[in-house]
Amino acid sequence: MRGLVAHFRELDALCEAIEDLRKERFDKVTVYTPTPRHEIEHAVAAPRSGVRRYTLIGALCGATFGYWVAIWTSEYWPLVLGGKAFGSWIPYTIIAFEMMVLVGALSTVAGMFINSRIPRLVATVGYHPRFSGSDYGIWVEDAPERLSAAEALLRRHGASEVHGEQ
Amino acid sequence: MATTVEPQGPARPNIPAAGLQLPAVRDYEQVDREIGATLNPTKAWFGGLALAILGLLVGVTAFTYQLHEGLGVAGYEPPVMWAVYIITFVFWIGIGHAGTLISAILYLFRAGFRTTIYRLSEAMTVFAVMTAGLFPILHTGRPWKAFWLLPYPNWRLLWPNFKSPLVWDVFAISTYLTVSVTFLYMGLIPDIAALRDKEKNPVRRQILAVLSMGWRNSEREWRHFSRMYLFLAAFSTPLVLSVHSVVSFDFAMALVPGWHTTIFAPYFVAGAIFSGFAMVWTIAIPLRKWFKLEHYITLNHLDASAKVVLLTSLIVGSAYLIEFFIAWYGGVPAEQDYFWNRVFGQWWWAAWIMLTCNMILPLSLFSQQLRRNTTWLFILSLFINLGMWFERFVIVVPSLSHEFEPWQWAAYTPTWVDLGILLGSFGWFFMWFLLFIKQFPVVAISEVKEIVPPRMRSAGAGGGHH
Repeated sequence: MRGLVAHFRELDALCEAIEDLRKERFDKVTVYTPTPRHEIEHAVAAPRSGVRRYTLIGALCGATFGYWVAIWTSEYWPLVLGGKAFGSWIPYTIIAFEMMVLVGALSTVAGMFINSRIPRLVATVGYHPRFSGSDYGIWVEDAPERLSAAEALLRRHGASEVHGEQ
Repeated sequence: MATTVEPQGPARPNIPAAGLQLPAVRDYEQVDREIGATLNPTKAWFGGLALAILGLLVGVTAFTYQLHEGLGVAGYEPPVMWAVYIITFVFWIGIGHAGTLISAILYLFRAGFRTTIYRLSEAMTVFAVMTAGLFPILHTGRPWKAFWLLPYPNWRLLWPNFKSPLVWDVFAISTYLTVSVTFLYMGLIPDIAALRDKEKNPVRRQILAVLSMGWRNSEREWRHFSRMYLFLAAFSTPLVLSVHSVVSFDFAMALVPGWHTTIFAPYFVAGAIFSGFAMVWTIAIPLRKWFKLEHYITLNHLDASAKVVLLTSLIVGSAYLIEFFIAWYGGVPAEQDYFWNRVFGQWWWAAWIMLTCNMILPLSLFSQQLRRNTTWLFILSLFINLGMWFERFVIVVPSLSHEFEPWQWAAYTPTWVDLGILLGSFGWFFMWFLLFIKQFPVVAISEVKEIVPPRMRSAGAGGGHH
């Protein structure tokens, strides 16, 4: 047996089970929830999301590209107007701004995909369709001899259903 | 035993204000059941779709005729070389703005009333921008050359002029469309996963599995998703302000009476939000009745949105008055003559439709009784849609027909071709919208669950109503 899937109906029971699993040093624990909840985030004590780095880098690259493409093409194909500068940064700020938003937004999405490990086109072991409906879930992966202790812990905390998966 | 867990607010920062809770929604199962039921097609839906496709076909016919004959058949004659197409372009871009306001700006401001209407508003944004984007292309005369506006290395060795508002438009609108589609689709992923998990039909289940990208509701996914959603909202907020500002620059950069004014950017943005909210009402009020979603899109939500409409109406009304004041105070005869002609001359009827629908009728929203009367809100939304189309008419046509030289002054009459294409644009918009609402939940399942109190084991933890 590779691990255990536990279904929970109540949020507080789930959070208490997560905290106890951490105390008992079960490291490979995945929590499922139909909607994001701060209570679960605190119980899991997960690190901050790294998506913001993708956002910053993408936005800077986009803005740079926006200025560059406008200035470079103005120099390459000059529109001669009464001694005015070919490259004019004030109107080009509009292009740079739009490119900053576009590349920044798309790289934010890429950051979410990379950090969340999606797209995932194969079925996940330990997931149950009810976890997108009304149930909370915990998937615990560990050596078979430790799983019986995990099962007892999960049942003690009020799991409505616990079963093993290969 | 671990310590007792106290319930906290939703993880995403859209904590509803008092009075914006959903008391008639008791648990997650009810949310799944009731919102899932909106996906079943009905006879009214098929009827609406047929009507929308019919309208689209009228537009396609008119466009085909115009392609063959040239832009002259659309009523364009010097000096009025911009008319229904540009008016309708600005109209649809404006409609799109409320969607982004609701989904992004109100999200950042933690306005709870957005939760149940943001999905349909976001879908409205995407389809409105898709509609708007067609109009500059229809207006180019040779639409098959429209791609020349994009900067790419080509055999002509030519690049677009980045100082031109038309090129700014290309960048602003294509960015807006891409970011709006991304925002809509990302928000849909958890809901598509919920549909996938309930789907019995294996083919449809497989399609939903691909569309949901293997989303499985893990805490890790939600953590990164929430952060991504926040950043997308933060990007969309200045984007939405920039897009209509850029659209207003199409006019404000020109030395034409009535156009060359610095007030245009904020005036256009306020007008866009005003008209967009009206379109949200036009769509949401019948939908909540047909789909029996009155306990999701409640009177409290409509009341709150009516206050936004009232505020933006007052801003737009002030802008109208400031325009008149500046024309008088500026002392430029061409400008003064133009504004007189706009309100008391050749175009008085259009200007008074605009003033009545956008300035006078929305004042009724000072009454709370009317803010909570869905029949009045629906009727008012139709008037505002009409008034905002005429606002753009008043900006475009009277200016071009009444410039500096009296010998240039002329009239303008639309023909069946541009009116047919206008009708076709409504058909195009509603066709996409109707197709959308039967494939995807029109109210966001996962976000509604955030405001439903979670089930708790210990009564002292103050859990839900289970």
